[in-house]
Amino acid sequence: MSKRRNLESSERRNFLKGAGLVGAAAALTPAAASAQVSAPKPNLKAAVPGPKQVAVETQPPSKDPVNQTSSGGDFMVDVLRTLDIDYLAMNCASAFRGIHESFINYGKNTKPEILTCPHEEIAVHMAQGYAKMEGKPMLMMCHGTVGLQHASMALYNAWCDRVPVYVMIGNIIEGDKRAPGVEWVHSAIDPAALVRDFVKWDDQPASLQHFAESAVRAYKIAMTPPMGPVLLSLDAELQENSIADAESLRIPRLARVVPPVADAGAITEAAKMLAAAENPVIICDRLARTPAGMARLVELAETLQCAVIDNVGRMNFPSRHPLNQSFRRAIIGQADVILGIEMNDLYGSLNAFSDRIVRTTRPTAKKTAKVISLGLRDTYLKANYQDFGRYQDVDLAIAGDGEASLVPLIDAVKRLADPSRKAAYDARGKKLAAAHQAMVEQSKSDATIGWEASPITTARMCAEVYAQIKDEDWSMVGTSIRLSWPHRLWNFDKPHRWNGVSGGAGVGYNLPASLGAALANKRHGRFTVSFGGDGDFMFAPGTLWTAAHHRIPMLYIVQNNRAYHQEYMYLTAMAARRSRGIENAHVGTTLTDPNIDFATIARGFGAHGEGPITDPNQLAPALKRAIAAVKSGQPALVDVVADMR
Amino acid sequence: MQMCKRTISFALVALCAGAIATAARAQDAPRGDAANGKRLYMDNNCFTCHGHAGQGGAYNGPAPVLAKTAMPFEGFLFQLRTPSNDMPAYAASVIPDQGVADILAFVQSLPGPRNAKDIAILKD
Repeated sequence: MSKRRNLESSERRNFLKGAGLVGAAAALTPAAASAQVSAPKPNLKAAVPGPKQVAVETQPPSKDPVNQTSSGGDFMVDVLRTLDIDYLAMNCASAFRGIHESFINYGKNTKPEILTCPHEEIAVHMAQGYAKMEGKPMLMMCHGTVGLQHASMALYNAWCDRVPVYVMIGNIIEGDKRAPGVEWVHSAIDPAALVRDFVKWDDQPASLQHFAESAVRAYKIAMTPPMGPVLLSLDAELQENSIADAESLRIPRLARVVPPVADAGAITEAAKMLAAAENPVIICDRLARTPAGMARLVELAETLQCAVIDNVGRMNFPSRHPLNQSFRRAIIGQADVILGIEMNDLYGSLNAFSDRIVRTTRPTAKKTAKVISLGLRDTYLKANYQDFGRYQDVDLAIAGDGEASLVPLIDAVKRLADPSRKAAYDARGKKLAAAHQAMVEQSKSDATIGWEASPITTARMCAEVYAQIKDEDWSMVGTSIRLSWPHRLWNFDKPHRWNGVSGGAGVGYNLPASLGAALANKRHGRFTVSFGGDGDFMFAPGTLWTAAHHRIPMLYIVQNNRAYHQEYMYLTAMAARRSRGIENAHVGTTLTDPNIDFATIARGFGAHGEGPITDPNQLAPALKRAIAAVKSGQPALVDVVADMR
Repeated sequence: MQMCKRTISFALVALCAGAIATAARAQDAPRGDAANGKRLYMDNNCFTCHGHAGQGGAYNGPAPVLAKTAMPFEGFLFQLRTPSNDMPAYAASVIPDQGVADILAFVQSLPGPRNAKDIAILKD
């Protein structure tokens, strides 16, 4: 632990203490004199400072330097630079002023470049959206107490979403080094305790060498599947003060992380079951960690000519692939072998839940169906928060990274596939392709209903947006709750077309996480588009300022249904259940009176704003204007007064 | 196999009986007032799941399209009183039978799907 060597300060405090006593005696003197007339006269000679006190008061302190030539913060920046981190999202705070100054002056604000965020929740969500698109973490920094409290919900989303976010917080460990007042209420013995249930690992290094090792360790842990957020608590003394023993410091080497691949025997067993199945079905959620994931899943599905149901936790499978049966989930009931890969909630996908007075579930798969799970979900769980979902019986539970384990699984299936069954495979594939095409036609037909209606239907809204961006190298990075039209109507055919949802269903994710993904897309020249609900927007509207300030282009469509609509429907159901009429269900669930003018808010933050658009025929012109702004490098918002779902 | 034939025969008889009964009840169904049905559809939050245009939507699961529905009154009433899936139940004290008939008249009056091929931006 580094120490502040304020010997001179101690002497000053002693001096001040002595002076205070003298002053107090002097102040009491008149009253004492009037109360005790016969008391002896005070010794005034004692109030005159002696030579030592005069020296302390008038000469510069011998051990209170005002400059330093090295700092722990600089060394921390050197360490972090070895991790190839491009950005640091943060809301400034005194608890990390030492390393903050090192980042901007010693580090020249590059690698990482600071992103100014007006709320810690924005910073974490930006890092979450960015990591899913760029494949590596962003730094996030905040105050160890109040800042981390703001950041905590977003960290929970990142945890549930299995996304690496690299958090650093500031703290002042030693009580005698804290200034009276705020620094005490902003310090904690164990600040990470607040979020330990939903970070993968944390540490509070006690020396600079300890920091170096923990910093590299944290990165490795965050990036080893199953990925997750990590946290380092940085002592202010360590950040701010000089390096005492620079020659002994060493930056550890970061090894390449190789994800764990499933056991070869288990892979062979799964391949046998799949190859022999009449109707195998693959269900996946957070499968594709890298662009390779989608290609591998396509190869496996095409080898088997089997159905794929994509829960869209990542960009797993092309939306228009003929084997994509995501909107035909009844097919699970026909499956004799089901392979779930990196599933967040396999039980939820294989059972139907009834949200009635008596809550029940029933299986949707056949009792005889064999179920295989492949993934790392079970290898790192915590007990308190219940994001692991209900226990699902499976016949073969394979621990291994889904994306990495697809390589040996594909090989095994190809080896085991009986050539005599090729015709059966092809016939199965043709049936699935026909069903997929029928689903696409049905979706287009459904989309026409209410085409001219106002509020604008969500289908029309999505179709109009797609018409304007389909020829761009687009990337859709967010959606409002249960808005499935893009996945029904759009051609998601590349790994960067989509990056999943919040994870923890914590509202307030969509706008800042979309911006983080947009930042990643900017470097690749992609056109970022995102849909978000009005309720979500209101949690962190300041995100648009960050977008404008850092010139991050993004087309953000607010699906403005003027409600927290899912809750509106829940309340309607409660009132209907009690037969009390549902006229009051809007109370506490809607965002009206006054209606929110999102376009004006956007302009106030320096972004381009369009809307509110209520006429569906005015949507295309508004989108064209917004897209022109995005192409000029600006963020742009289009407020669409849309139907509920 | 014998069991299977018996089951099919029973099902056919039941289906025919049900159809006849439904047809008879349909003649007794109250005549609906679409204008009042629109008011009830909005006041009772039907639009929150099924959309202002009856285009369908989602609650916990999909909420079906209601525009131009071919569902008979009896079936529509049954669904409102004792709904399947997670749809809220609407008691007669909340929406009387006549109100249900009015809502049905309203959703049947809504334009159904168009030919998607007639809409240029739905071709891609």
